[in-house]
Amino acid sequence: MLTFTLRRLLLAIPILLVISLVIFLLVDLAPGSPMAEIPLTVPPDVRQKMIEALGADQPVFVRYLLWLKQFFWIEPMTLYDGWFGTSIVEGQQRILSWQSRSPVFTIIGQRLPQTLIVVGTAYLVGIMIALPIGIYSAYRQYSFFDQVGTLFAMIGFSVPTFFSGTLLIIIFAVWLGWFPTKYDTMLEVTDWQSFLQQVKQMALPVMTLGLANAATISRYMRSSMLDNMTMDYVRTARAKGMDEKVVVLRHVLRNSLIPVVTVIALGIPSIFGGAIITENLFGVNGIGAALIGAIHANDLPMVQTLAFIFAVLIVLFNLIADILYGLLDPRIRYD
Amino acid sequence: MLDASPLPLVRVRDLKMHFPIYAGLLRRRAGEVKAVDGVSFDIMPGETLGLVGESGCGKSTVGRALLRLYTPTAGSVVIDGEDVATLSPEALRKKRPTMQMVFQDPQASLNPRMTLAAIISEPLDEHTDWSGERKLDRVHELMDQVGLNRAFANRYPHEFSGGQRQRIGIARALALNPKFIVCDEPIAALDVSIQAQVVNLLEDLQERLGLTYLFISHDLSMVRHIADRVAVMYLGQIAELSPRDDLYARPLHPYAQALLSAVPEPDPVREATRKRIILTGDVPSPANPPAGCNFCTRCPKVFDRCRVEEPRLAEVEAGRFVACHLYGDTNKTAG
Amino acid sequence: MKLKTLLLGAAAAFALAPAAHAERGTDGEVKLTFPQAVSIMNPYLTGGTKDIYAASMVLEPLAGLTPEGVLIPKLVTEIPTKENGGISEDMTSITWKLLPDLKWSDGTAVTADDAVFTWQYCTDPAGGCSQATKYEGVASVEAVDASTIKVTFSGPKANPYTAFVSALAPLLQKKQFEACLGAAAPTCTDANNMPVGTGPFMVTGFTVNDTVQMAANPNYRDPAKPAFATAVIKGGGDAEGSARAVMETGEFDYAWNTQIPPETQESMKAAGKGEFVVAFGTLVERIEMNTTDPDPALPEGERATAKHPHPILSDIKVRTALSKAIDRSILVEVGYGAGGKPTCNVIPGPEGWASDNEGCIAQDMEGAKALLDEAGWKDSDGDGIRDKDGKKLHILYQTTVNPIRQDFQALIKDWWTELGVDVELKAIDPGVFFGGDPGSPDTFQKFYADVEMYANNSESPDPESYLGQYQCKNAPSPETQWQGENINRFCTPEYDALYATLATTTDIAARQEIAKKLNDMVTKDSMIVVPLVHRGTLSAHSNSLGGVQINAWDSEMWNAADWFRVK
Ligand SMILES: Nc1ncnc2c1ncn2[C@@H]1O[C@H](COP(=O)(O)OP(=O)(O)OP(=O)(O)O)[C@@H](O)[C@H]1O
Ligand SMILES: [Mg+2]
Repeated sequence: MLTFTLRRLLLAIPILLVISLVIFLLVDLAPGSPMAEIPLTVPPDVRQKMIEALGADQPVFVRYLLWLKQFFWIEPMTLYDGWFGTSIVEGQQRILSWQSRSPVFTIIGQRLPQTLIVVGTAYLVGIMIALPIGIYSAYRQYSFFDQVGTLFAMIGFSVPTFFSGTLLIIIFAVWLGWFPTKYDTMLEVTDWQSFLQQVKQMALPVMTLGLANAATISRYMRSSMLDNMTMDYVRTARAKGMDEKVVVLRHVLRNSLIPVVTVIALGIPSIFGGAIITENLFGVNGIGAALIGAIHANDLPMVQTLAFIFAVLIVLFNLIADILYGLLDPRIRYD
Repeated sequence: MLDASPLPLVRVRDLKMHFPIYAGLLRRRAGEVKAVDGVSFDIMPGETLGLVGESGCGKSTVGRALLRLYTPTAGSVVIDGEDVATLSPEALRKKRPTMQMVFQDPQASLNPRMTLAAIISEPLDEHTDWSGERKLDRVHELMDQVGLNRAFANRYPHEFSGGQRQRIGIARALALNPKFIVCDEPIAALDVSIQAQVVNLLEDLQERLGLTYLFISHDLSMVRHIADRVAVMYLGQIAELSPRDDLYARPLHPYAQALLSAVPEPDPVREATRKRIILTGDVPSPANPPAGCNFCTRCPKVFDRCRVEEPRLAEVEAGRFVACHLYGDTNKTAG
Repeated sequence: MKLKTLLLGAAAAFALAPAAHAERGTDGEVKLTFPQAVSIMNPYLTGGTKDIYAASMVLEPLAGLTPEGVLIPKLVTEIPTKENGGISEDMTSITWKLLPDLKWSDGTAVTADDAVFTWQYCTDPAGGCSQATKYEGVASVEAVDASTIKVTFSGPKANPYTAFVSALAPLLQKKQFEACLGAAAPTCTDANNMPVGTGPFMVTGFTVNDTVQMAANPNYRDPAKPAFATAVIKGGGDAEGSARAVMETGEFDYAWNTQIPPETQESMKAAGKGEFVVAFGTLVERIEMNTTDPDPALPEGERATAKHPHPILSDIKVRTALSKAIDRSILVEVGYGAGGKPTCNVIPGPEGWASDNEGCIAQDMEGAKALLDEAGWKDSDGDGIRDKDGKKLHILYQTTVNPIRQDFQALIKDWWTELGVDVELKAIDPGVFFGGDPGSPDTFQKFYADVEMYANNSESPDPESYLGQYQCKNAPSPETQWQGENINRFCTPEYDALYATLATTTDIAARQEIAKKLNDMVTKDSMIVVPLVHRGTLSAHSNSLGGVQINAWDSEMWNAADWFRVK
C-alpha cells in the first residue's frame, strides 16, 4: 500500500505539471482582458501602463515560468520564513492578484475558513441526511417513504441553488425573519451569543447546499444498497437466521458503503472549491466567490492558482478514494 | 407413498409464489409472474430429491420459498413438523438452524468483507451462547469436515478458489447442524473436475450427518448420480416426479422425455440409439402461461384436451407422479 | 419639588436629543453592502467604482463635488478661483491652501509634501496609476510652504480642478506610501488595503473582496463627526440580494448599485423598510452608428476604416429614421424603472451642461418611414424589407451579453423591422467586447458591425475630456492597434475646431454653450450617436439611516461624515 501510494504520488508530479501548463494556456487564451472592468473613461495609454504594471504584457511562457517559480519556490518559502523567522525569499514577488494586488495565498488563507466551515458543514449535513434516507429508501423500495425520498432527491438536484437559496431567503429571512441573508465573515465566535449568531448565519447557506448534497449522496446510497440487497450473501445471512437489523446494517450496509465512501471522498475537493453560486448568494465570500470574481475580472494569477490547487486536490482525493477503497474492500489490494 | 411409514421431513402442498409486476408511471400492479404455481411434494428424512428443469422454470424460487427466503403466495411448507410458510419472524429465526441452503454462486453468496471464520461463526453468534473458543473449535471442525485447511480461517472469500469457496458455503450451511439443506445448483459455477469433488463431499456429509437434500440442478447426469427421486419442473409446475432409475429409464411426461433425450447415455449401445427430441417454440412467459396444460404450446403429443383442461399431478404408476392427460384419469394426487 | 426637577430634567433631555447625534461615535455601527466586493482601498490602483467609493470614506481629495456638481472645499480653506487669486491669470497654475491643524488619522500633520508625493505616485510611469488622467497636463506640484500646494500646468488649463479633486484623486500619506512608488506600488499590500487618510473613518480590518471594517477617525477635523462609531462594507452577492438586505430584511443600512428590474423595485419598496435613491450622472445607454463599412469581404486592415464609408449608414436620413423608430420611454420602463430616463443627449447633465434637446423622445414611426422612402430605400419586391439598387437594408446590431441589453435589442429589432429593416442581432461577452484585445474581432473599438449599443459616461461634471473622444484623431484603426474612443470614426473639421476652442475657454457659461453645441453635433445634428436612456445608479438606504445625499459627481459616500442614525 505504501509503495502504491508513493508510486501514485510520483506519477502525479508530471501529470500535475502538464495540467498546470494546460490550465495556464486555457486561462490565458480565454477571451477578455484584465482591463475589461476598468471604466471606459480611463484612456488607452493609461490602460496600457496599467497592464505593464501588472506584467500582463509579458510573453505567455515567461509568465508561466514565473508563476511556476512563485508557486513552487517563493510561496512555500514565504511560509517557511513566516514560521521560522528566516528571510530566504524576502522581497521576492509573490503571486499577486491582478484585481486586488494582494498575494493570492493571503486571499486564499482568508477565504478558506469560511468556505470550509460553511461548505464543509453543508457536506456533513448532506451526508447525515442522505445516508438514512438512502438506506431506508432502498430497504423499503417503492414504499411511500421511498417515493418521498425520490421526490426530495429530484428536487435536490434539479432545482438550482440560486433558486432554492432565494426561496429559503424569502421564507426564512424576509417572511419569518429568523436568519440573516448576509454572512458576516468577520464574526468571531467567543461566547454562546456569538456562537448562536454563527449558527444562524450558517443556517441558510448550509440548508441550500446540504439539500443539494443530500440529494446526490442519498441516490448513491440507495442504489448501492439496492445492488447489495439482492446479492446472494444477503440471502445467506437471512438463511443463517440473522436478525433483520444485523442483515441490513452489518451485511448490506457495510458493503454498500464502500462505493458511497469513495464518492464522498471524491466530493471533498469540491468543498475546497467552495460553492460559487451559494457563496455569492449569501455573501459567504469563500473560495468559490473568489474564483468567480477572479474569472469575471480576468484575474489570471488568481484563477490559475485556484484552478491548479483544485487540480492538486482532485488528484490527491482520487488517490485517497482509491486507498480507502483498498482499506474497506478486502478484495482490493495494491501490491 | 401416502402411507409410507417414516414421516416426511419436508411436506410441500400447493406452493405458489407469484411475483407482482408493477408498471406505468404510478407503478400500478399490472400482473404477476407465476414463478411457482401450485407445487406439491414430500422429501423423506435422509433422502435427496433432485429438482430439474429449464432455466427460469422456477427451481430456485421453489428452493427459496421452502426456506422462507421468499414469503410464499399460497400453500404450506411443513419442515420437521412446523409450517415454515406461516411462522412468525421470530419463530422463523429460531427455525433457521434446521434448514439451510447452499447457493449456486459461491462467490456472491459469501459476504466479501467477512473472513471465513466470521462467515462460518456468524450463525453461531446468533443462535448459541458459546464462548469464542468453542466457536472457533467448531469453525475448525467444520473446515475439517469440508476439507479446508485450518490455516485459512482468517482469509477473505476472494482469496479462495471456486471449489474452496463452495466448501466454505457448505461449511457455513452445516454450522448449525441442519437437518435439511437446499442445494441450489451448488456445482453449476464450478469446473467439471471440481464438480465431482463437491458432489462427493455432499454425499459424504449426507451419509455421516444424516442430511436431507433438495438438490436443484439442470445437470441431469449429476442429478442421476446424487438423487433418490427426481422432480421435473416446467413453467412453475411439476411435470413428473419419479424415482430416479424409473425416470431415467423410461420418462413418462412428454416434457421429461424431451429433457432426458438430451442426456448422453453411459451405455454405448443405448447411446447409439438415443434419439433427441427437439422441442420447438419458446417457453411461454410465466407472467402469462397458456390455458390448459402449460406445456401444450410445445408438446409433441398435444391433443385438444390439453388446451382446455389443466392436468393434475397424479400417481400413474407406483411411486410415479405425472401431470399429463396421456395417462388417463386417476384421482390420486401427488404425495 | 423633586417631581419638578425630574420633569425639567426629562424636558431638557428631550430638547437635547436631536443634538445628541452631533457627537462622534454615538450612533453605533453603519452597515453598507456592495454587490461587488471591495478589492483594494487605493483608488490609484483600481478602476472599480466599488473600490473608489469605499476608499472615499477614508481618503479625501482637496475638493469634492456636491450632488449639484458644484465644487466644495474638503481639505482646503476655499476653492481657488481667479477672483480670489488661487488661479493664476494665465490659467497655468492653481494654488490650494490646506486647512490649519489638519491631521491624518494616525495623528501626524497633513502637509503640502503629501500632495507633492501623491502627484509623484500617480505619475510614475512604472506605477500603472489608473487615475493618471487626473494629473494630465500637470507640469509640477510644489509645496510652497507646509500648507500651500501649487499645481503648475504645462499650458493654460481651462479646467484646473482635476488634480486632487473628487474621490478619484484623493491625497495619499507620503509616510505610508513612500516605499511604494512605481513598480513597487502593487506590492505594498498593507498600505493599499489600509491606507491612512483624513476622512471620517479609518480602516481597521480588510479582507480582499469581502469586508472592509472601519472605525471613526479620532483625528477627523470636525470633532462632532462622524456620528457612527464604526462602519462596515460587506461585499458580494448580487444587486437583488443587496437591495433585499436593506429594503426587506433590514440587515444593512445602505446598498450601493442595486440595479434590479422595475417590478422587483416596486415589491421591495412595499416592505416599507427603506427607499431607493438614484444618482443621475452622465451615464448614457446609446446606440453608436458605424460610419465605416464593416463588410467582412473587405481586406483586413481596410475593413471598418475611414477608407470605406458605410454603404447604408453614411446617409443621415437612414440614421435619423432609425432613431425616430425607437420609443425610449418603453425602453426605460422595461429596463430601468426609476433608475433611468429617456434622453437625446450624450451629455445629459449636470444642469447647465445638458442641451435641451428632446426631439427624439416621442416615437415617430411614420416620419421614420417617410425618411427612408425619401432616401430611396423602398420595399420593391414586397418581402417586407426595404432595398435600394438591389441591396437589402440589412443591419448587424451588436452589444454585450446582458439581460437588459438583450431586451433592448429585441424591442428595437421589432421597431426597426416594422420600419422595413432586416436586423441581425449579436451579443458578445462583455469581457471580450470591452477587453480591447486588438486580436479579437469582437471589441467595441473594432466595431465589425453596423450599429452597437453600450453605455458610457463622463468621469467629471465638466465634459471636456469626454467630448474630446469624437475628434477625428481618436478613431480606432489598424494604425492605432484599434485603440481610441471615437468609436464611430466620426470626423468633421467643424467639430474638431469647436472642440479646440473649448480647451481655451475659461468662462463657465461659455464653456457650457460650447459643450451643448458639441453634444448636438454628434447627436441630433448628425445622429452619429443615438442616445437611448440616461441611466442612474440606483442605491437603497434604510429608513433609519439619516443624512444620505445621493451624489453622481463624486462618491456616493461623499458626506458619510454627516450620516446618522434616525431614532
Ligand atoms: N424476485 C423476483 N421478482 C420477479 N420475478 C422473479 C423473481 N425471482 C424470480 N422471478 C421470475 O420467476 C421465474 C423463475 O425464476 P427462478 O430463478 O426460480 O428460475 P430457475 O429455474 O431457478 O432458473 P435458473 O436455472 O436460471 O436458475 C423467472 O421467470 C424469473 O424471472
Ligand atoms: Mg436458479
